[in-house]
Amino acid sequence: MRPLTEEESRTVFEKLANYIGRNLIKLIDRPDGPYCFRLHKDRVFYVSESSMRLGISVARSNLVSLGTCFGKFSKSGKFKLHITALDHLAQYAKYKVWIKPNGEMPFLYGNHVLKAHLGRITEDTPEHQGVVVYSMNDTPLGFGVTARSTVDTRKLDPTSIIVFHQA
Amino acid sequence: MDVSDILAERAEKQKSIAVEREIPLETDTGLLTVTDLNPIDLESYNEDLEAFLQSNARDGVQALLNALFALPSTPSPDGPVAKLPPPITQLPRAKPLPKPKPLTKWEKFAKEKGISHRKREKAVWDEEKQEWVNRWGWKGKNKELEEQWLAEVPANADTDHDPSKIARKERKTRVAKNERQMAQNVARAQGESATSGPSTREQRKNEINRTLATSRVSTASMGRFDKVLEGEKKSKGLKRKFEPAEAPVEQEKAANLALIQRMEKEPRQKKAKKDTVDGVLNVRKAIRATSGGRGSVALGKSLKGGRTKGKSRR
Repeated sequence: MRPLTEEESRTVFEKLANYIGRNLIKLIDRPDGPYCFRLHKDRVFYVSESSMRLGISVARSNLVSLGTCFGKFSKSGKFKLHITALDHLAQYAKYKVWIKPNGEMPFLYGNHVLKAHLGRITEDTPEHQGVVVYSMNDTPLGFGVTARSTVDTRKLDPTSIIVFHQA
Repeated sequence: MDVSDILAERAEKQKSIAVEREIPLETDTGLLTVTDLNPIDLESYNEDLEAFLQSNARDGVQALLNALFALPSTPSPDGPVAKLPPPITQLPRAKPLPKPKPLTKWEKFAKEKGISHRKREKAVWDEEKQEWVNRWGWKGKNKELEEQWLAEVPANADTDHDPSKIARKERKTRVAKNERQMAQNVARAQGESATSGPSTREQRKNEINRTLATSRVSTASMGRFDKVLEGEKKSKGLKRKFEPAEAPVEQEKAANLALIQRMEKEPRQKKAKKDTVDGVLNVRKAIRATSGGRGSVALGKSLKGGRTKGKSRR
């Protein structure tokens, strides 16, 4: 377990900012106590300082996880978000997509969101923007990247993809 | 006729050449310097500063001139010439004292044992020739054995026994030994003088190690499949350095916030650059607009007009 280097923090923040924008600061500067990012076995964990300090005393090989896993670094150095980060992302998400009940299961099985399943979408979402996908009763299901901007979606046929599934 | 008035008048104009002080003035004629060690008379100093300084200076110069004229002089076409004596005043050195030369091994030993240095003359008396000859060098005494016209040969000597050759070899080894010792002395002196910083030997060692490490990874497989020599150590790479995990989080937080601020300032040009051609036309947007959002493939199909699906697939 170790803190992220500057290079690593940059990749993580770039990815997170894609979903929550400036709210990223709220993740780092929390009023309810200090939180930090820690890297362990290529995985990035978002963890409170107190549990991080407890985790220090665990040997590296024995430490499985701590705090919330946000994602992992691929071997090529890219950062990939995990579904476990959903709680925090959903809390601060800037752009949201709601899908109809008949589209929930296809999305949860790893398919992209089609226009037919689209219930609601945040106004003026640009394309290739990270979005959090909700069910119609406001339960966060996962997140993805928009294929088209909100304006463009209107012209599309029902089978075209609106949001690329991410996790 | 009374001349006392005139004399008094002149005496007033010309002060006495004898300078009288409580502590006599120190004159260094060699450096043309006069030093007045007397304390300043405060009363006259406060009364008129200029006059006081002037009179003081005049006294000093008078004393110096007195001393100069007391020197023995010789007449010359330009007038009498006096030679200045060497200066008395001790001036401080301009340069620091030279460092003592490091002792050679023999000198150190001799010092410890209390052996005093004895001067060895270069010339020695040759009894046979009845003259002074050099100890070494041209017609040196040390070459006597190899240059004698008749040499003793031991009874059990080989056929190729050459006494002069042997003597010469011995002399040459003595010279070589002395040279080696000299070099050792020089090296020792250098080692002692270079107390701070790594010695040249250490530097050289580091340099060789670096070269070795570079050459080991300079093969096609970057040293991966090379044969490892016996006793060859595993080369150590650069150790990665990370922040300590247990450092206070506050510091990390500040660094992160600063990083985010920097990231926000950076222009988001990466995506825009990819799409635009010569900064004017956004190809992707143009395709989307003309194809009605269906993409480039659909646009191509519609432009060709009525081409069958099968054909385009081939």
